Amino acid sequence: MTSQLATRPAPPAGSVSAKPVTRRRSVEGGWKQIALNRAFLLPAVVVFVFLFIIPLAQSLYWSLTDFTGYSTEANFVGLANYAAIMADPSMLAGLSFTLVFAVGSTLVTTLIAIPLAVQLNKAFAGRSFVRSLWFFPAVPSMAILGLVWGYILSPLPSGVFNTLLNDWFGIDAISWLSDNTLAQGSVILVGVWAQTGWHAVLYVAYLQSIPAEYYEVAKIDGASSRQQFFGITLPLLTPAIVISTFLLLTAGLKVYELPFTLTGGGPGFTTYTITQSIVVSGVGQGRYGLASALAVLFTIAVAVIGFSQLKVASAIGKRFS
Amino acid sequence: MKSRLVRASAITAAAALGLGLASCSAGGDAEGVTTISFLSWTGEEQMQPVLDAFAEDHPEVKLEVSYAPPVAEYIQTLQTRVLSGTAPDVFLIAAENKTNLIDAGAVVDLSDEPFMEGVQEFNLDTYGRDGAQYGLSLSSWAAGYAYNEEMLAEVGYDAIPETWDEFLELLQALEDAGHTPFLESVDQMPTTVSAMIGAKSSGMDPSLDEQIFSGASTFEDEWSDVLEQYDRLYTEGLVSSDVVALDGDQVRDEFANERVAIINAGPWIINAVTEANPELQFSFAPVPGIEGGKPFQAGAASPGYAINAKSDEAKQEAAKTFLTWLASPEGVELFNQQTNDVTVTESFTPEVNPIFEPMVAPIRDGQLYLPMISWQRDEDVLNVEAVAQMQRMIQGQIEPEDVAAALDAKLSD
Repeated sequence: MTSQLATRPAPPAGSVSAKPVTRRRSVEGGWKQIALNRAFLLPAVVVFVFLFIIPLAQSLYWSLTDFTGYSTEANFVGLANYAAIMADPSMLAGLSFTLVFAVGSTLVTTLIAIPLAVQLNKAFAGRSFVRSLWFFPAVPSMAILGLVWGYILSPLPSGVFNTLLNDWFGIDAISWLSDNTLAQGSVILVGVWAQTGWHAVLYVAYLQSIPAEYYEVAKIDGASSRQQFFGITLPLLTPAIVISTFLLLTAGLKVYELPFTLTGGGPGFTTYTITQSIVVSGVGQGRYGLASALAVLFTIAVAVIGFSQLKVASAIGKRFS
Repeated sequence: MKSRLVRASAITAAAALGLGLASCSAGGDAEGVTTISFLSWTGEEQMQPVLDAFAEDHPEVKLEVSYAPPVAEYIQTLQTRVLSGTAPDVFLIAAENKTNLIDAGAVVDLSDEPFMEGVQEFNLDTYGRDGAQYGLSLSSWAAGYAYNEEMLAEVGYDAIPETWDEFLELLQALEDAGHTPFLESVDQMPTTVSAMIGAKSSGMDPSLDEQIFSGASTFEDEWSDVLEQYDRLYTEGLVSSDVVALDGDQVRDEFANERVAIINAGPWIINAVTEANPELQFSFAPVPGIEGGKPFQAGAASPGYAINAKSDEAKQEAAKTFLTWLASPEGVELFNQQTNDVTVTESFTPEVNPIFEPMVAPIRDGQLYLPMISWQRDEDVLNVEAVAQMQRMIQGQIEPEDVAAALDAKLSD
């Protein structure tokens, strides 16, 4: 279609007769087309309104009340719920770890996934099998992964990792999940392990769209592998990096199942997340007003972080384009 | 023409559907059968035989049963249905939702119902307030310590001592003999703390929690001494602080594989441990008492069957028929057979696994305590805070009195 438009003969320069015809056609076809386009958009708009706008508006309303979730009666409490959040150490701890997890898992996953994708893009025996193997951790739910890794990273001497470390290197049991720093690191580690393969496959798809001629020319010009990676591969992967980091960051901000099943948010509130806080407050404790206030603040924070990330990614994209 | 045909077909289909639905909801009453909905806490495999027996005895009441696994999913499902006006006619009132359900006027007062007679008073009081009772709780559970008889015999003990000091001496002896002496999961309120607070509260009038929640006392005043004794497990190096990352299943597996001598446990570990290690000789005991106290058990009344206050009169009557049958000797016996719960009605003595026998009498006497059940408001808020702060205490980051002070701060929010 593009090529047809491109090869259509241009009207003679200075011609005026073709212009009104084109405009009339575009008006007639345009109104119908616009109406048709709107009609196709309608289901998406309805879904968006019912599943996003209305719940968000309801959350905003409930955040200003003492709604418990058991009775439709709710009293207006102003900004008391927001003040309670700011004064609650557990919620601030949840916010802190959520940010650490989102940024940490995004950075580490990206730093591993890109080189991995470059390797997976090379021709070698059993390549499809190895790609599948890396992709597999993305298939089971995070909740199941959390439970399984709970046994692997158990701080007891009988834990899988500790047993291997002791048998192979004589190292004493390490408190993977019972030390604050190690517990946070362990949650990020499992998150990275689960997501790296999926994002590497995404990068592989983009790598395959880079013309081989670029590398051939670079080789003729004497570019080393490192120069080829930083001069050709990385710049042309920018669109993939934008998508991948956006997905990782938003998934990281919403993380719930993994820390909940792996550490339960502990020790203390060390691996507590915002989403866990919302679920516990709203469902477990019947404090929907408070949970809604937290959800509203969280939505704003996610929107700000998401848009900022897109802005930065767009600037980087322009720099390399 | 075509569109008219389509429209007519759609109207006919909608009318047929509407009639079908109408006949579904009204047909039962026309035949003298009242249909009531029931959201079961107990799984289908265990509950269905009980429901089948009820259906056979009472054909005039038809139960429409749905299931939701406890605890969080059940609470959430019920909460959503209550809020949307589609709450079942019969459901379970539990520690996690009793305050909200009672406050919202969502449950019928069952105090004067004949089927509540003969049920252990402790169970009735658990799901009551201001003299009114809202749940028919047929059973209770208890947790204490499970111990490896062989390991204890190795260091000269044949049972768990009755005092905390002697218990710590036993742990030291086990440690010296090369065993891991004790593990207790701290992903929820520790059994030891619940039992010790329970022992203390049982000798107080008004009870410990009545004093705290009325403002006559504080957590700091009432909990600090107990937490100090509990913390000795960690400050004296008898138990690893790694327990903060263990759940009940991991602790149970360590016990079943004879890698630890004593654990906190309830009857739910018996089958799994026996299957994993049929040779293991083990028994149960209550938690030893601290100075001036007595051995006690952590535990609570099981969730109670409640009736929806918004259901119409006919459905409430049918629901009462169901609860009357459940509380009958036949119903309780079948319930006990299916669930292995220790039932607490006067008319039936439950059969229990002999290993768990030492805990049965306290259960049937209501000698149980669980903070979350006993607290009068903000139960889950306080529970989450208590567990997190106790984990920090075990890690050595804060002192026992800081845990209690954090609970006071949470209560005053």
